[in-house]
Amino acid sequence: MKRFFDFCRRNLAWVLLAVCCLIFSLFSENFFTVRNILNILNQNAYVMIAAFGISFIMMSGEMDLSIGYMMSMTGVLSAIMSSRLGLPLPLVIALTIALTVFMSILNTLISHMLGITRMFVSFGTMTVYQGLSFIISQSKTISGLSAGYKYIGQGALFGSGFTFALLLTIVLGVAVSFVLNKTYFGRYVFALGGNPDAARLAGINVRKIQIYIAGVAGAFLGIASLVLTARVGSAAATTAMGTEFTVISGLLLGGVSIRGGEGKINGCIAGILLIGLLGNGMQMAGMNVYWQFVAKGAIMLATIGFDTYQMQRRTAQLNARKESA
Amino acid sequence: MAAILELKGIRKEYPGVVALDDFSISFEEGEIHSIMGENGAGKSTMIKIITGAIPADCGKVIINGRAFEKLNPAISKENGIGAIYQEFNMIPSLSVAENIFLGDKTGNAIMPDFKFMHRRAGEIMNELGVNIDSRRMVGELTTAQQQLVEIAKAIGKKCRVLIMDEPSASIAMAEVENMFRIVRQLKASGVTVIYISHRIDEVFQISDRVSVMRDGRYIATKPIRDVTKKELIAMMVGRELTESFPGRSAPAGEPVLEVENLSGNGDFHISLELRKGEILGLGGLVGAGRTELAKMLAGDIRPSSGEIRVNGRSVRFRDSSQAIEAGIGLVPEDRKLEGVFLNYTIEWNIPVMSLKSISKFGVIDFAKAKALAEEYSKRLMIKTPSLRQLVRNLSGGNQQKVAVAKVLAAKTNIIIFDEPTRGIDVGAKQEIYRLMNELAEQGMSIMMISSEMEELLGMSDRIVVLHEGRVSGELKKEEFSQERVLELSSGI
Repeated sequence: MKRFFDFCRRNLAWVLLAVCCLIFSLFSENFFTVRNILNILNQNAYVMIAAFGISFIMMSGEMDLSIGYMMSMTGVLSAIMSSRLGLPLPLVIALTIALTVFMSILNTLISHMLGITRMFVSFGTMTVYQGLSFIISQSKTISGLSAGYKYIGQGALFGSGFTFALLLTIVLGVAVSFVLNKTYFGRYVFALGGNPDAARLAGINVRKIQIYIAGVAGAFLGIASLVLTARVGSAAATTAMGTEFTVISGLLLGGVSIRGGEGKINGCIAGILLIGLLGNGMQMAGMNVYWQFVAKGAIMLATIGFDTYQMQRRTAQLNARKESA
Repeated sequence: MAAILELKGIRKEYPGVVALDDFSISFEEGEIHSIMGENGAGKSTMIKIITGAIPADCGKVIINGRAFEKLNPAISKENGIGAIYQEFNMIPSLSVAENIFLGDKTGNAIMPDFKFMHRRAGEIMNELGVNIDSRRMVGELTTAQQQLVEIAKAIGKKCRVLIMDEPSASIAMAEVENMFRIVRQLKASGVTVIYISHRIDEVFQISDRVSVMRDGRYIATKPIRDVTKKELIAMMVGRELTESFPGRSAPAGEPVLEVENLSGNGDFHISLELRKGEILGLGGLVGAGRTELAKMLAGDIRPSSGEIRVNGRSVRFRDSSQAIEAGIGLVPEDRKLEGVFLNYTIEWNIPVMSLKSISKFGVIDFAKAKALAEEYSKRLMIKTPSLRQLVRNLSGGNQQKVAVAKVLAAKTNIIIFDEPTRGIDVGAKQEIYRLMNELAEQGMSIMMISSEMEELLGMSDRIVVLHEGRVSGELKKEEFSQERVLELSSGI
């Protein structure tokens, strides 16, 4: 029994996901169909890809709030490149990814220069990116993407509801999991999140690794932005708005600690899907959009509360052990 | 003169240690009374008991004739006890006046009376002969000025007994004179100052009387005129060296690490050498520059001038990784903050400094990582049911061993231990000592920074003592004595 609870606690996001699926399938017979499940997965593909990138940042103990607008801005730019400038697809992809890598690294460089955390830098840059994406798009929706571009988000494989984007997500997920768990770069990410001072003294060049992390995260955001734009079929300054919220709350639900140094990719996937599923479920239940915001916010707070509670409990246990020793 | 504060038969026991034992002392009104004693003599415990921060197991504190058996911080404050610690207790973003009256109610229920606060703060400053605008933010002041505000704060709270814990440790030499002037002024206005310091010169300059503590016991109180520095040191070290140290006989080899005229943050000029297979003890007071030296050698702080030579080759480290490559590893002073990754497993921690060398194309060879973890945990006898145990769940001694294992696994041969046994229980201490001896016998060179006299004398083959950023002397094994180390630490 204790084992069972331990398992549940460690895989909280998966357990909650299963419970939600069960509840939804009781209320709606359309829920537990291959079609709907694939639909939910496809819808959330870009969020998962963005989350893979941000997981590097959060596991290293940092945070970024500008990702939504970063993706909006690059989405607008890549849509312009594809539709108005008619650039070839590989070039559009390369430029889009290069752009997010640059923007993400810029956040880290500013944080090094000013000596503040990336979160506060992103607080500023998110507004800058927001403004820029409205200026660049002239507040219009940019459509007319090339067919190849749209395939990134909509292309179906095997003539089924299984999209190219979903395949991409799976491949990237495996890659991220490999990098985080098997490479020394991955260990350094956890080292920074676990104890930056010890990391520095262990000979890890903290700033350099932080820049690498920003670069990797940027690349994932670029891919996520491409997938999103391709899926929607157009881009506007508001397209990716709120992605930061979904990603961060999904990651927190999935067991990434807000203090860094903890987290697993499979948990992240479950967390993101859970948030997506709740959105989907609330939609299907006909819940008012504004109430959905209230619910999502409450879930995020509850998750952070749970994370903090676990942390405090662990500390308390440790202190108790010290007392008795 | 009447005793304003007395401690009678105080005993305080922590698990495994008696911090104060049948401790009695008396302070008179309007005197400057210094307290001296080595690390672990029980000075901080005494302060905590007087200020009510911790309760005594038995005995009583008598303030102004009133005996208290259970003192708490509020009662202590009410009765005119104030304390200034090394870490100031102020809010940097508030003004001087607001800090002075922090926690006091001025004005009505809604608005504090700022006019009154500034007027009164100005008066206090005038009394003290200090020229600091009460409207300035505390954060803008120098450390020495902040200390004066702390004193003003104590005066504002009508304090009759002011405890000052190492007040000169955090301020520059030139500013100490000014602080002394103010302390004397406090005395003139009838305040009793309990002055705690390691610096023997200061004690002679400022005190009326001096008391010595040793091993949680009261030794003696003397008028300062009636003692000499040497006598005072003799009283402090009358302590018996109880702990036994594993013996070792190893001839030191050629120099592996030479430091010449090295200086970094602050006024340091340090020259010394470390030989192959020896344990070099580094003595001195906190702030003498020992930790800074260690961090410069480990590549964490860049020296501003001077030279470091490893095996005769001059080196300049940009960061710790280069020091590690050159074979220098640091086991830092603060194990939990800098030494280990508490939230990760032993298996994770041990190879962390050697990851690059056991990786191919960036992918870690986990068999090698595991082998490293196994090898070093066995060699260091880390006590754990499994290598998958989180380091946070280990005892202090075993955590320290993990910190050492990490450094050893990176194939370093010069190891700097900064306070290697701080906060570790007796049994684990012995194991760390044995380990250090073993390492030295295997031809590694060890530099050990220690503030514990027993450890310094018991473990070192040679001791270099630092005083205010300079080497004040070197002792060979046959010259070792507690007196000499203390004298050199105090610059006598």
